[in-house]
Amino acid sequence: MAIKVDYVVRETAANLTRNITLTLASVLTVVVSLTLFGSAFMLNQGVNNANDRFKGGIEFIVYLQPDASQEVIDSVGKSLRDNPDVERAEFVNKDETLVEFRRLFKDSRQLLESITADILPPSFRVAPKTQDPEVVQALGDVYRQKAGVYDVIFAFEVVKRIQETFNKIGVRFLVASGLLLLAALMLILNTIRVAMFARRREIEVMKLVGATNWFIRVPFIVEGIIQTLIGAGVAVLAMTFVIRPFIDELSQDKVLPIFQGFVVTDANLVFTNLLVVGVAVLIGAVGSAVAVSRFLDV
Amino acid sequence: MIKLENVSKIYKGDVVALKDASLEVEKGEFVFLVGASGSGKSTFLRLVNKEESPEKGRIFVAGKDIAALSAWKVPYLRRNIGSVFQDFKLLTNKTVYENVAFALEVIGRPRHVVKTQVPAILELVGLGKKMGNFPNELSGGEQQRVSIARAFVNRPLILLADEPTGNLDPATSVGIMRLLDRINRTGTTVLMATHDRSIVDTMRRRVIELDRGAIIRDQSRGVYE
Repeated sequence: MAIKVDYVVRETAANLTRNITLTLASVLTVVVSLTLFGSAFMLNQGVNNANDRFKGGIEFIVYLQPDASQEVIDSVGKSLRDNPDVERAEFVNKDETLVEFRRLFKDSRQLLESITADILPPSFRVAPKTQDPEVVQALGDVYRQKAGVYDVIFAFEVVKRIQETFNKIGVRFLVASGLLLLAALMLILNTIRVAMFARRREIEVMKLVGATNWFIRVPFIVEGIIQTLIGAGVAVLAMTFVIRPFIDELSQDKVLPIFQGFVVTDANLVFTNLLVVGVAVLIGAVGSAVAVSRFLDV
Repeated sequence: MIKLENVSKIYKGDVVALKDASLEVEKGEFVFLVGASGSGKSTFLRLVNKEESPEKGRIFVAGKDIAALSAWKVPYLRRNIGSVFQDFKLLTNKTVYENVAFALEVIGRPRHVVKTQVPAILELVGLGKKMGNFPNELSGGEQQRVSIARAFVNRPLILLADEPTGNLDPATSVGIMRLLDRINRTGTTVLMATHDRSIVDTMRRRVIELDRGAIIRDQSRGVYE
């Protein structure tokens, strides 16, 4: 027996408006939990995108002492170029470093005023032939020992730091959104339970005259899914028009250079939104199905 | 139409509602179930439409063993059984017409069937002019007529009535009994649990008396006691 669409629409609409406060509570919880979930997911994709640019060739940078003489610079440069493991080494002098520094910290006027080219270190940017992190590490360590070298910074250290930082944020976001999703699930379950209690007389009559179990159940399950879908709709809007622009803004913020290269592509956004809608349907279906099977004695 | 074979029903706490009951009801019969409160009349009716399942014994309805009926088939069994109660069980937020139409809609009857069947059955029970009223605008007798219309609109093989006149005055009860009698004469088997002595004695139909779950009397053209 086919279940009539207009019947389900009518019953579901009546159920949704009957307990408007409870419905709103479930929907809002769904909105917050799914927005958190989607944001965590989008940040994670942003981290992956940001780290992509390092994959072009693992680099390390040999910073020299700011007061290193020209002989020392030449000697380190020659040693790098003669090294069979080095593909290419690019010298960045004090003035170029200052230009880059100014670009990175252009919003911090005080910092810029106190910095002159004299105190900045010149450096060599090194592209090794191999990308094996252990070989790169050993190679960089050799130059750390050299006279006149201030420090060696590995690109993969930066990559690792970004990843660790955002993994920590991501895990916390996911835990929080997980707890809220659980709360949403239980709220939906209870909303459906209340809806069934409000309609217990109808349900009794339906059972009596021989309505099938699924005929009785379907409007309640549809109600649960519609609640989470409304929530997912708001979450999708929030992610598209609030969270993503916020991430874009962060990536252009020069004070927080860790966010540089942080890009959320349209494809990432669409994928995240689809995932959010999928999770919403799942939560709604599971919540109402549990309510229906536990509290609807048919 | 209905056959019980050594049926026992025991509720929690060892309350015996039906004890080794066996009987057969033919198609088109009108049967009164009498006995004190708690003698098992309601349990008997609830077993027939599988609101309850027996601990022991077998129950056949229209030739089918309903103990072996899987849960998803129970609704289809109930489409062949109309039920009427002492408290009517009408939906107060629906009109008379909607209450009866609801019974057809929820079993998936097409709209044109609903539109023709509902006014016809309401005319039959004498409520043709009150289709737009709500149940609380009707007298008790009229409300029971609505509930009978709802039970009968699908033309069931069996009509179960659990003290249908329990809340009504004697004059109104007579009207309800005439209606049930008319339904019975269309070939529908009627099982009615009652405490109403005068009704049983006037109608002179088959009487089955229960006492603490046991059938102690089964008499055709019987009286209340």
